[in-house]
Amino acid sequence: MDGKVKEQKRHQQKHSGPKAERKKLKKQEGSTEEDGRKRNPKAFSVQSAVRMAKTFHRSQDIKTKKHHIPHVDRTPLEPPPIVIVVVGPPKVGKSTLIRCLIKNFTRQKLGDICGPVTIVSGKKRRLTFMECNNDINTMIDLAKVADLVLMLIDASFGFEMETFEFLNICQVHGFPRIMGVLTHLDSFKNNKTLRKTKKNLKHRFWTEVYQGAKLFYLSGMVYGEYQIQEVKNLGRFISVMKFRPLVWQTSHPYVLVDRMEDLTDPERVRTDPKCDRTVSLYGYLRGTHLKNKGQVHIPGVGDFQVADVNFLPDPCALPEAQKKRALNEKERLLYAPMAGVGGVVYDKDAVYIDLPASHVNQQQEEVRPTTELVQSLIDTHATLDAKMAASKVSLFSGSATLDSTDVGEPSGEEGPREECVWDPNTQRKRRKVVFTEKEEEDVSGSSDDDDEDDDEDGDIDSEDGDQEEQEEEEDEDEDNLSTFLIDARAESDETEKTVTAYPPAKKQKVEEGKKRREESAEVPAFADSEDDLEMSEEESEEEGDNVRAGDSGHCSEEDEEESDDDEEEDDKEESEDESMEEDDAAGATMKKQTASESEEEEEEQGGLRWKEGLQQKASEAFLRQQKAAPNLRKLVYGSVVEADDSDDEEQELGGLFRVSRPQNSKKSQANGVDSSRFDPDASHNWDLEEMLNSIRDCFVTGKWEEDQDAATLLKEDEELYGDFEDLETGKVHKGQTGEQDQAENSENDEDDAADDDDDNEESLVKVDDDEVQKKKRLEKKQRLKERFNAEYDNEDATYFDDLKEEMQKQAELNRAEFADVDDETRVQYEGFRPGMYVRLEISSLPCEFVTNFDPHYPIILGGLGSSEGNVGYLQMRLKKHRWYHRILKTRDPLILSLGWRRFQTIPLYHMEDHNGRHRLLKYTPQHMHCGASIWGPVTPQGTGFLAVQSVAGTKANFRIAATGVILDLDKSVTIVKKLKLIGYPYKIFKNTSFIKGMFNTVLEVAKFEGASVRTVSGVRGQIKKALSTPPGAYRATFEDRLLMSDVVFLRSWYPVSVPQLYNPVTSLLLPAGQKDSWAGMRTLGQLKHDLGIRNKPNTDSLYKPVVRAPRHFNRLHIPKELQKALPFKSKPKQQQPKGKMPRDLQRPSVIREPHEKKVAALLLALSTVHNHKRKKAHTAQHAKHKEFLQQKEKQEEAKLKRQKEARKKLYRIQGQVDQKKSRSSLKGAPQDD
Amino acid sequence: MASHGLAYDGCNFFRQRLVLSTLSGKRVKIKNIRSKDDNPGLRDFEASLIRLLDKVTNGSRIEINQTGTVLFYQPGLLFGGSVEHDCNLQRSVGYYLEALLMLAPFMKTSLKATLRGVTNDPTDPTVDMLKSTALPLMKKFGIDGEGFDLKVVKRGMAPGGGGEVVFTCPVRRTIRPVQLTDPAKIKRIRGVAYSVRVSPQMANRIVESARAVLNQFIPDIYIYTDHMKGANSGKSPGFGLTLVAETLNGSFLSAEMSSTPQGQGDPMLPEDLGRNCAKLLLEEVHRGGCVDSSNQSLALLLMTLGQQDVSKVLLGPLSPYTIEFLRHIRDFFQLMFKIEVQKPSEDERKGGDKVLMTGVGVGYSNINKTIK
Repeated sequence: MDGKVKEQKRHQQKHSGPKAERKKLKKQEGSTEEDGRKRNPKAFSVQSAVRMAKTFHRSQDIKTKKHHIPHVDRTPLEPPPIVIVVVGPPKVGKSTLIRCLIKNFTRQKLGDICGPVTIVSGKKRRLTFMECNNDINTMIDLAKVADLVLMLIDASFGFEMETFEFLNICQVHGFPRIMGVLTHLDSFKNNKTLRKTKKNLKHRFWTEVYQGAKLFYLSGMVYGEYQIQEVKNLGRFISVMKFRPLVWQTSHPYVLVDRMEDLTDPERVRTDPKCDRTVSLYGYLRGTHLKNKGQVHIPGVGDFQVADVNFLPDPCALPEAQKKRALNEKERLLYAPMAGVGGVVYDKDAVYIDLPASHVNQQQEEVRPTTELVQSLIDTHATLDAKMAASKVSLFSGSATLDSTDVGEPSGEEGPREECVWDPNTQRKRRKVVFTEKEEEDVSGSSDDDDEDDDEDGDIDSEDGDQEEQEEEEDEDEDNLSTFLIDARAESDETEKTVTAYPPAKKQKVEEGKKRREESAEVPAFADSEDDLEMSEEESEEEGDNVRAGDSGHCSEEDEEESDDDEEEDDKEESEDESMEEDDAAGATMKKQTASESEEEEEEQGGLRWKEGLQQKASEAFLRQQKAAPNLRKLVYGSVVEADDSDDEEQELGGLFRVSRPQNSKKSQANGVDSSRFDPDASHNWDLEEMLNSIRDCFVTGKWEEDQDAATLLKEDEELYGDFEDLETGKVHKGQTGEQDQAENSENDEDDAADDDDDNEESLVKVDDDEVQKKKRLEKKQRLKERFNAEYDNEDATYFDDLKEEMQKQAELNRAEFADVDDETRVQYEGFRPGMYVRLEISSLPCEFVTNFDPHYPIILGGLGSSEGNVGYLQMRLKKHRWYHRILKTRDPLILSLGWRRFQTIPLYHMEDHNGRHRLLKYTPQHMHCGASIWGPVTPQGTGFLAVQSVAGTKANFRIAATGVILDLDKSVTIVKKLKLIGYPYKIFKNTSFIKGMFNTVLEVAKFEGASVRTVSGVRGQIKKALSTPPGAYRATFEDRLLMSDVVFLRSWYPVSVPQLYNPVTSLLLPAGQKDSWAGMRTLGQLKHDLGIRNKPNTDSLYKPVVRAPRHFNRLHIPKELQKALPFKSKPKQQQPKGKMPRDLQRPSVIREPHEKKVAALLLALSTVHNHKRKKAHTAQHAKHKEFLQQKEKQEEAKLKRQKEARKKLYRIQGQVDQKKSRSSLKGAPQDD
Repeated sequence: MASHGLAYDGCNFFRQRLVLSTLSGKRVKIKNIRSKDDNPGLRDFEASLIRLLDKVTNGSRIEINQTGTVLFYQPGLLFGGSVEHDCNLQRSVGYYLEALLMLAPFMKTSLKATLRGVTNDPTDPTVDMLKSTALPLMKKFGIDGEGFDLKVVKRGMAPGGGGEVVFTCPVRRTIRPVQLTDPAKIKRIRGVAYSVRVSPQMANRIVESARAVLNQFIPDIYIYTDHMKGANSGKSPGFGLTLVAETLNGSFLSAEMSSTPQGQGDPMLPEDLGRNCAKLLLEEVHRGGCVDSSNQSLALLLMTLGQQDVSKVLLGPLSPYTIEFLRHIRDFFQLMFKIEVQKPSEDERKGGDKVLMTGVGVGYSNINKTIK
């Protein structure tokens, strides 16, 4: 090569020809042909059907994996505050964090964090912070109510056992959201170790929670607080966090109590300091609807029946207007009554938070004194209340409830503006007058200060008596508290207070009455609540109007009875609860009087407001009464307000009034025929034509409604789908819409024409028509849209989508159904909604609950479902925790946390055999699940539980002993353990033996007849029949003959009963400071250890040195006969040893003389020499002979060889001769031929 | 435990109390049972009901005092399974079956109950009626599927009895909420005219007279005649008619009538019976609603035991039995229904007032059922 690279040919671009043209085209409209599928359909066609199926499968799998079972969304519109539990070992910075967060959200400083702290964090979110101390009881309880857990970890130390214990508790009781927070990061001086620690901790945290779980770093403290920016970030995270509903929480109502009041009569407490207490507990209701009078469990205390529930105005309400972006200072509320924060005013039924405008700068210390003052006031208030109650009781020894109801009811109807319509049922009033006056006197006597408001007092009417009393109280209160009570609040407070004086059931009515009074100026008194309907009905009945004509046969049975005795029947129907109506008609005049009285009284009190529009109201009431629907609700449930305590009331009243009244009708009903059949109304005569006509439309042959009629529907369809063009003929069909509209218009015009004379009317009608038209159009549009939506969405609607839609619809219905009902009524239908601030009254709490109250420990009211209050046998699946270092023993008490409860119980562990038998285990298996049976509270299947051996103190080791799940609630448990009965043969026949020692009586044997037995050596047999003596012995047959030394045993299974121990852990009742030292029943091991008892082991079980006796074998004895028959070979030989030589044969030993010895020695020497010579000679001879033999052999061989040679020669010669001979003979023959 | 029981007086609504007690797990004490009566205490048929309850439950405690005037009942878990029961002849099988219908979906294992006794008598809803109305109603609440059946094996009239009924029902964990607000129009009427130990002609006579009344309204009427013979015919003679009106929305209204038991009261002509029964059906139609008057309580119970969702059902006028049942539901489950009266508009001819019952279920779930 010459070193020069050969130049390659240049590329020449085509400027013409098909290729160039194609390129040009491409350049021009390249964008249009972008779609690869169009351009190159082959590349996108199905290459492999299998592969396609696989990809399809995969995508579908991924899609379906994302699905969760759809649930009806039952979250309330205004959800309760989110519970944030701050957990961590001591000294890790929990309180500091809460303080910082609160400061971040509300700009307020909180000193001591006591109990739950509720704050408003945003426009739609409230938070409740709760600090969790290091007690495992607290950890368990709070894990059950937490929505979010802030898990504080001391980075300088690393993870502590509590953290892992808490995580495990969470796992068992449904996993709330968990966020880790690393503190003490400033203790790291070296940046590298810091990074490394962070990473290590993060990864460990991830393995415990989930990969990528959020871990926050609080890098250091500034003036005893965390850095503002970091806290702010944490706050942001919290306020945008989403939560998944947990199964247990969404199916049970619960309250994290943030306030507790002791309502017990102080006098009772004084006389008996250990008496059961009545306590009211306050908090936000969470989870699901709570029914009144339900059962609740208070973890750490026990199960209780709620005496009463009512809802209160929200003390920490969300801001009203939602439009602006951020909260203003006033809306950043803070509510922590247990911590005594924020000028909280305690009232029995209402809570007021007073945050002065400059509260941002205010210190907690400044507020304190007022709080104390208020606290003292509360106390006096309670005392007064109690005293009032006491005075009542003392007056009417027979019926305590009687007077209370009496007081309650009149004030409930107290709005005397209604009186003119109302007067017939003044029976109550008569009584009321009596009672309240007395009571009033009594109370005023007892109360410290009645000198105030004397002028009012003088006029106090019977009915407003106690109310006034309350007002007085209130006034006084106001004087004292005027600094921080706004007037408006005071007013509402007044109502609240009044309410409190009466038994809780009355409240509603009372309040309604009040409301009515307040609203009377603008609204006619008869609000549209159900109560009014009732009242009007009552009244109509009293007046003799037969409303039942319109009753259309409701409860016809009772109607019939009614004809007999009207008055009584009225009472009865109103009934059961209308306690006051017992009096006969004679009382009516009385009533009138009292009514007028009360009117007057009202005048003074109500300031004549009620008189406005009296006439109008009366007429309205009359109208209403005319067309009043029979108030079924009242018929069914009795008077709504009194609904709850109807039964007692009736009884109590019965004690006073019903004695003389024959209760025949009632009795006959009580013992009537129990049949669900509903007899027909006698008034209907089905032979009459009009009767028949009245049900014509119930049949398909009758008239149809507008929207269902086939003709109208067809027409509608025509409107919708009428327009179409026949493509074949090209003809265009028009729908009739236009025409119809025209027609309608013309109709309207006609109408207008008819109405022409009245101008005003006409214009009105015009407007109406326009509106009607508009409405119609809108409706049509709506319909079209719906139809389109339905079609559009249904295109790829799956089962899942349908299900989801159904749930959605149900959720909407749930929301909408009671949305416009007022809360008082609403709670009766659906119970108390989650998100409400409720007050629960519980009677008969143990006194320790109050005396040992410690706000640092959470009080949780966990609602129980139906039959969850019962105790029964539970079957569970249990696994010892892999970190718990010991196995668990059957019958050792164990503390379980199950549902809301913590309790000690005695589990029996068992395993299921292959044949379905549950056999008892002595210990839990190491690394396996096993079954466990306990006696405990009935809890739905699938609920998780955890077990600890003891809740007292903190131990170095991991405390959670086992976890598991409830499988079954079954009272017929069949756990068995193996039982071997042992007996000994005492008489042996061939295969039959008599066995004793296994049973004690004949009866026992009889039960086991036919059972199979076995000997230790493996001979099987069967029990046949009992023997008379000795008792318990029996005859058994075996497959072989037994030996007397055999042991016979019977393998059987003995059912074990589960011990009925259910011992709730009452840790909250322990004195403060010792709450973590609850000790229940001790385990056997602990008991022995504590009492120093050591088991005496069975001596047979001890190991001893093995001593073996020498074996002794007997001679083989062969009978003589057999010996004779044996062949000689097998015959026993005379093997006897010779035995001792007889004495006579024994010869004495020879003892030589010395000479003889020498001779003998010489002889021996000579013989030895001789022997040696001989031996030598012999050897020589032998060698010689050998040589000779060899030589001889050689010679022989040579001879043989020679002979062989000779013979060979000879044979050869002979052969040759023969050959010659034969040859010659052959030759000769041809010659012959 | 703090769960205290409920106390009642008198023997009326005995079944309701026991059934609700069993379902809610609350114990109940009934006092003064016929205490003023010449023959005080529980009757045989009530004792028989208690025995039946004892058979289907596990771990119930029942205490009755010496005279039988006081009953204490602490319910156990509903177990179910295969149950045979000889019902007392004082009441028909319907009496027992109504209780079982309420309990059956909430058992541990699916129920197969064989009840023997009187299948048809005038006091209680007969098995035919329950079969044609109660079962379709329960289906609306999601209780259906294989093995949901009521079979009349033998028919036995009062007073002799001798009938046999097999009721099978699967178990459910939760009950679906329902919205039965529109009964729609009646599209057909069906019926069974039965006769045992009398001339088979009786049934035909009944059919004829009943048709004569109903034909004024609708032509689609078919009444089967069911004449049972021999071993299947029980011990007493009798005849009767059950009529069922089915609406477009699948709700059923029924009426029935059976002949007076032999030796009790005046005998009845089949023609009269047919006519009267047809009129009863008209009465039932007049009452209207989505649920038959004798099944109102069943529907309300299933609404109560649903999830915490709103259920609605339109009923005719409430019967005294239902009213008491509502009170009992409030006692046992603390649930009140919203009761609204719907008046028919003037130009409508759809019978009397209707009652719209709205309630939120208590969130009941069948804890007896094992999760596999």
